[in-house]
Amino acid sequence: MKRIFRPTFVAVAIACSLGVSSCKDYLDVKPTAVDTPETIFSNVSGATSAIIGAYDPLSGDAGYGNRLSSYYPFDSDEMQSSQGGDDAGAGRRGIARYASVPTNAEVLSPWNLLYQGIERSNICIKYVPEMAQYNSGSDMAAVRRIHGEALTLRAQYYFELVRNWGDVPEPRTPSVTGQDFNLPRTDRDVIFDHLLEDLALAQTLVPWRSEVASDERITKGAVKALRARIAMYRGGYSLRQNGQVSRPSNYKDFYTIARNECSDLMANRGQHTLNASYEETFRSINELRTEAAHEIMFQVGMGGASSASDSKLGYYNGPRITASPKYGQSSGAVTVLPTYFYAFDSLDTRRDVTIAPYTIGSTDNQALTTLISAYDGKFRRDWRVPLISAVSVQSLNYNWPLIRFADVLLMFAEAQNDIAGPNVAYNGVTATQALLEVRVRGFKGNTKAAGTPPTDQAGFFNAIVNERFVEFGGEGIRKYDLIRWNLLGTKLAETKATLRAWIADQTASSPYAKIPLVMYYTVVNGQIKYSRSLYRPAPATKPTGTTNVNWRSSITEVRIADIASGYTTNRQLLPIPASAITTNPNLVQNPGY
Amino acid sequence: MKKHLFVLLLLLHAALLASAQQRAIQGVVRSTEKNEVLPGVTVVVKGTTIGATTNSEGMFTMTIPAGDATLRFSYIGFVSKDVPIGNKTKIDVELSPDSKALDDVVVIGYQPVQRRDVTGAVSSVSAQQIKDIPVNSAAEALNGRLAGVQVTASEGQPGSDVRVRVRGGGSITQDNSPLYVVDGVQVENALSVLSPQDIQSVDVLKDASATAIYGARGANGVVIITTKNGREGKTVVSYNGFAGFRHITKTLDVLKTSDYLDYAYERSAIAGADALTSFKNRFGTRNYTSDTLALQRTAPFIDWQDKVFGRDAFQQTHNLSISGGGKGTTYSLSLTHNDEDGIQIQSGYTRNLVNFRFDSKASDKFRYGFNTRFLDQAITGSGTSSQGTSSTTNTRLRNTIVYLPFASLLPGSVDPTNLNVDDDFFAASGSLSNPVLTIQNEYRKDKRRLFNLSANASYNFTKNLAFRSTVGFDNTNNRTDTFNGQFSPTIKGGNYSGLPFLGITTSQQVTFNNSNVLTYSFKKGKHSVDALLGHEIYQQRATSLNVQSYYLPLQITADRAFDNINQRDPAAPATQQPAPTTGVPSDYRLLSGFARATYSYEDKYLFTGTVRGDGSSKFKGKNKVGYFPAASFAWRISQEDFMKSISNTVSDMKLRLSYGLAGNNRIGDFLYDPLFTTGGNIQYAVNHTIVPGSAALTLANPNLKWETTVSRNLGLDISLFNNRVQFTADAYYNKTRDLLLNLAIPSTSGYATQLVNIGATSNKGLELQASGTIIQGKDFTWTSNANISFNRNKVESLGPLSELPLQYSGWASTAIAADYYVAVGKPVGLMYGYVTDGWYTADDFEGYINGKWKLKEGIASDKGVTGYSSTEVNPGTIKLKDVNGDGVVNEQDRTVIGNANPKFSGGLNQQFNYKNFDASIFLNFVYGNDVYNANKIELTSFLANSQLSNGIAIMKDRYRTIDENGAIITDLETSRRLNPNAKIWSPARQLFPHSWAIEDGSFLRVNNITVGYTVPKTITQRVKLSQARFYVTLNNLYTFTKYSGFDPEVNTRRSTPLTPGVDYAAYPRSKAYLFGMNLSF
Repeated sequence: MKRIFRPTFVAVAIACSLGVSSCKDYLDVKPTAVDTPETIFSNVSGATSAIIGAYDPLSGDAGYGNRLSSYYPFDSDEMQSSQGGDDAGAGRRGIARYASVPTNAEVLSPWNLLYQGIERSNICIKYVPEMAQYNSGSDMAAVRRIHGEALTLRAQYYFELVRNWGDVPEPRTPSVTGQDFNLPRTDRDVIFDHLLEDLALAQTLVPWRSEVASDERITKGAVKALRARIAMYRGGYSLRQNGQVSRPSNYKDFYTIARNECSDLMANRGQHTLNASYEETFRSINELRTEAAHEIMFQVGMGGASSASDSKLGYYNGPRITASPKYGQSSGAVTVLPTYFYAFDSLDTRRDVTIAPYTIGSTDNQALTTLISAYDGKFRRDWRVPLISAVSVQSLNYNWPLIRFADVLLMFAEAQNDIAGPNVAYNGVTATQALLEVRVRGFKGNTKAAGTPPTDQAGFFNAIVNERFVEFGGEGIRKYDLIRWNLLGTKLAETKATLRAWIADQTASSPYAKIPLVMYYTVVNGQIKYSRSLYRPAPATKPTGTTNVNWRSSITEVRIADIASGYTTNRQLLPIPASAITTNPNLVQNPGY
Repeated sequence: MKKHLFVLLLLLHAALLASAQQRAIQGVVRSTEKNEVLPGVTVVVKGTTIGATTNSEGMFTMTIPAGDATLRFSYIGFVSKDVPIGNKTKIDVELSPDSKALDDVVVIGYQPVQRRDVTGAVSSVSAQQIKDIPVNSAAEALNGRLAGVQVTASEGQPGSDVRVRVRGGGSITQDNSPLYVVDGVQVENALSVLSPQDIQSVDVLKDASATAIYGARGANGVVIITTKNGREGKTVVSYNGFAGFRHITKTLDVLKTSDYLDYAYERSAIAGADALTSFKNRFGTRNYTSDTLALQRTAPFIDWQDKVFGRDAFQQTHNLSISGGGKGTTYSLSLTHNDEDGIQIQSGYTRNLVNFRFDSKASDKFRYGFNTRFLDQAITGSGTSSQGTSSTTNTRLRNTIVYLPFASLLPGSVDPTNLNVDDDFFAASGSLSNPVLTIQNEYRKDKRRLFNLSANASYNFTKNLAFRSTVGFDNTNNRTDTFNGQFSPTIKGGNYSGLPFLGITTSQQVTFNNSNVLTYSFKKGKHSVDALLGHEIYQQRATSLNVQSYYLPLQITADRAFDNINQRDPAAPATQQPAPTTGVPSDYRLLSGFARATYSYEDKYLFTGTVRGDGSSKFKGKNKVGYFPAASFAWRISQEDFMKSISNTVSDMKLRLSYGLAGNNRIGDFLYDPLFTTGGNIQYAVNHTIVPGSAALTLANPNLKWETTVSRNLGLDISLFNNRVQFTADAYYNKTRDLLLNLAIPSTSGYATQLVNIGATSNKGLELQASGTIIQGKDFTWTSNANISFNRNKVESLGPLSELPLQYSGWASTAIAADYYVAVGKPVGLMYGYVTDGWYTADDFEGYINGKWKLKEGIASDKGVTGYSSTEVNPGTIKLKDVNGDGVVNEQDRTVIGNANPKFSGGLNQQFNYKNFDASIFLNFVYGNDVYNANKIELTSFLANSQLSNGIAIMKDRYRTIDENGAIITDLETSRRLNPNAKIWSPARQLFPHSWAIEDGSFLRVNNITVGYTVPKTITQRVKLSQARFYVTLNNLYTFTKYSGFDPEVNTRRSTPLTPGVDYAAYPRSKAYLFGMNLSF
């Protein structure tokens, strides 16, 4: 009998005790598979995983893995993305032709991703300084670095938003339920001023490159270089909400900030400097290794072979490879404008790095492309070490360089020229010296061929415009440079006029007769070899044993008209995504859409 | 101390009994039918607790107090009888079988009540009704039998998911499954862990007045299952067994050899030179009129569907039960073994189930019992649509239907029946691989082990006051093994490096449930009061572990791979193995208190009030606790004086009215806190090696609360002719509010959506049930049972939105656009797409001008939708309606093209008995719903690199785009000349939902026909059998439907309730021919 009753009484006892005392505790189930902010930000490893989460949106297809690196920076006067029509404003062609519609999915996904990055950074910026380890103890440096990284990441995300969309909503604290999410647009100058402040703080929190393990995480060089870059944009021209392109009257203040940051960096050559060889910098990306000079100061790390955390660099762009047993496959979606090919001096080593005028097919041999179809060359699948032959692999782990030391030198030169002129030294360096350092490296040390830049401010500025043109081709920089100089329309028109002139007269007496109408080449060890000069008229008869390819004659009016076909001044910005406006009535569309 | 006191009380009680004057009485109880003795009949002296039960010979003996007394004889299934005994010492009684279903007991939440006293809407099925359905799935046995309860098997695979919906289901984003209570204990997915042979009765509580007692878990209805128990008296050993074959009910006709070659050639020609080269590589020529091709046209056709689904799948089920009991104790042990082959080769299902139930009356006041269940089941074979809810992109049904349909007669060509890998064909057919080889190389095994224990104890403090405690514990372990061997097409893609890989997912779910209930009943004069007060706790935690191993040795077999997952092929890349992952998919607790009071006056006016308070760990702060009140009222009109005159006709008539609230807490855990998760895609590569990060992926909402259903019900129960005919009608209007919706918020917040409680849906409906004994003769009885339900679902509100963003069923992954529409004022389940309008004919074109077809002025082009974006449509292209009339067919021309909601559904069961023969026929039907036949869209399309896949037979009559010589037609005359009798368009170059694929899904299914014969007693007794019945059953014999796909009862996209009715790559259904026997000893 006892045995029978015991369970009953136990059950009653449980019931009573639950009902009375421990009701609250009983219902308080703690999540153990996932972490609350309090748990995450209670130690360094948690905070580190949170900052990795904040880095995450940089990579992947919607980030710098593809859209931000290979769709957004084109068309420009250097290269074109996905030539052939504008797809009625949809997709990547809509963006490249300055014809994008607000419903373009490729406009929406990076917008969402950048704000996701901002939210994740905001969370770190809020919680990390509240950690006990922030102010004392052995983990202090590590925790402070995380804070600095979060500030820098947020700056990068905002920088990308502002240069593509202009004034944008600017949440600076983590989102919470109940707040008004319908933020209006904040003036770009205000956002940039915040970023300059943030980065001034961030550079006091992060270490120099040499003080920590070598990887893609942000160090002081990256912070300073980004601050310089943002200052240059803050002082540059931009399309305003009133539909006008203008620059602030006090722009020199910002050029000064940029110059000073660059100067600091130039005084710390042990951290970052130029590689002796221009090619080395890009070979290192394709060979998945670090270059010795650490010329790449800030880059997006790619890996994992997924569309979320890897890149399509070298698959989407680079020379087109079809069904190559050795190299696999790539799309060759970014093509070089013929004028850009001939913007390089014949002795400039940068041309053959920046431009890959060949395709690779099933024989694994290169074949010369026409002049109108040459590909960008800094990310090439055939350069990868080790090679990947599987055609299904689209992610090559190529990092995206955000800022190189060459940019620091040229920003210094540009700012110093504007502030003081080309030959006035700041901290012992003149603008001319800085420019020449970049240019001479491009000419492999051949100072004679590199020449000397003009000595007047305006002439020197033009030299800067040209030097940045040939130095940064295909690195997602040119279009935005032209916008901040208010030269985009001019340069696009100039390029089209030049191309039209090239084909207008195809006779031997044409002023452009030196650009051959046809090129002949042979294949040696699988590589193309030009049989005749790129800078002399082609011979009338085909040299024996060579293959001919249309060169200047490949340019057609259709192709010229296609370049940035929808461009007008007020298309310098992308449309605010339609769904962003539907969900937020306070958002006003950009002018021109 | 208390215990001692109790024992003392008992002793006192016994002493009192002993002191009275007594006498003995004995007798035999028989059935009025067939004159059988009845063992286990309860005999009580009326007005006392003195009682006995009859033994195996139907005899009882008992000692009763002196003086006159009346004995009450009661027995389940028979009409109770009161017999005054006067001075007799021996009395023989005959009990007649009960046709009054209204006197059944119904379990309505912690308490059984007489059906006549029920004030809510309840549908019930008894063992009697399902005994003729020899099936292995309890859910299948219930299909069509309960008004207002829709049971949809998602597809035909043994052991596949079954969707049960009570009155439509109110939630549009969350799980609408009902709550299951087995013998008083909440059991998840009870229908899949019970054998139909073990079920005594199923009661489905449909309105909130009945379900509110289950509070936050009651909104989707409550299915209360009572398992069989033994009876006091004779030990009964029964064996129920059946065995038979299943065979596919329907196949899809595909193109035969010659037509296939035309089709493949035409598509190759359309695709261009490379495709024609590929055609030549395979079939030896690119000349359409060549002898080489002519020779191959004569090659015999290979019917892949027959090879894969054509077998006669054997199945057998054995159920052995031993039940019985001594005085005050009953028990039942049941052992079930199922063994079922799927019709698809290498698929099948085995299950072993042990169910033991024990109940004991320790004293007049104290009862206890327990029930334990052990299940061990394994489902083998890859389904055609993958297990569970989401992706079917790895479907293998397509392989089977459109794989290369013949073996080329050319020397040296690949013979597909030799089970060779055919990479060329794979590349040129949209990744088709040999279906037989694929199935052999894609091993799937889904094992489930379940242990379930429940115990209960009750104590009657007084005649009026009782206490009952129930404890339930459930432990379910699942393990899913998947292996893709060397010839699996899956390993060709992804990161598998062409090497076999395996995955093992194990999961464990532990639930604990305890309820304690006090009941009090009181009766005085015309007033009768029942009260119930209780509390309950429920907790559940589920964990899982997922392990994958890649790059296994190329030729390894599944068994060897699972036994040593660390093996690697020498060609394995240096890439890291995927890391194991764990997850806690559910972890929550529920603490509740509840009360119910019923009052009846003169047995005429019945009132029930219920309230339950639920505290849940799923919510935060003030939302943690929810209250769910309900009230109902019933008026037994038949008790009124004015009805007395017709009481011979109307034996019972009751009007019911109810109103109440119930909640749905089948929602995720921890949604209220911002939570950092790892894994998934939160990662960043540092030095090209992925470093896992963590981030909050969703914006937590601390204000979340339950979805609440307000339900109103009006019901009428009538029984006629001494309960021979019963009729029940219910009308209801349920409104579910505070729906959990992922509302789009500005993405500048860092999140695209947030889960919030907004919006409402409603379900209105009418349910009719009738049952009756149509003929009751000496030798022949005919009983009939029918039900029909009408439900209208409507989205009442979506908060600030008028419609949700279009929903993706995703049957073709990202290759198909959004295809479901949800808007205020409309039902859930609207299919959305283009309106099919035939095809473009030569008459629509001006001509072929400058290398391009040119449409006539005013004819809208759908080139953007149908996949001709760079050029123009051509004669033969599918034509879609320019709905908005803007001169171009684009996304704006999509409209609602179908509705998955049936107008009505129901079932009709007829049972006949003639002497020793019995027969039953069961029909179920659904009317007025649409089915989205996605297979049809896919099988009439021509996607990139799929020129060599086969098509379904209707494509034979397509509009031709090549001429007699195989050249692409580029003039109107030829196009016109070759296509006078075209019946369908040239295959579409894209997948898009269009109205042609939306079909009427109405059907009438001859679900079951059974004929049985019970061997006469005179014979069975000779072999010591008390009963022997043999029967033959045909399950799913025939379906009357206009639906052109495999079966109209299908639902393959189950990840959200918003995309019902998609038929994509469902495992085909089968019919079964079974022979079975019921033996009792």
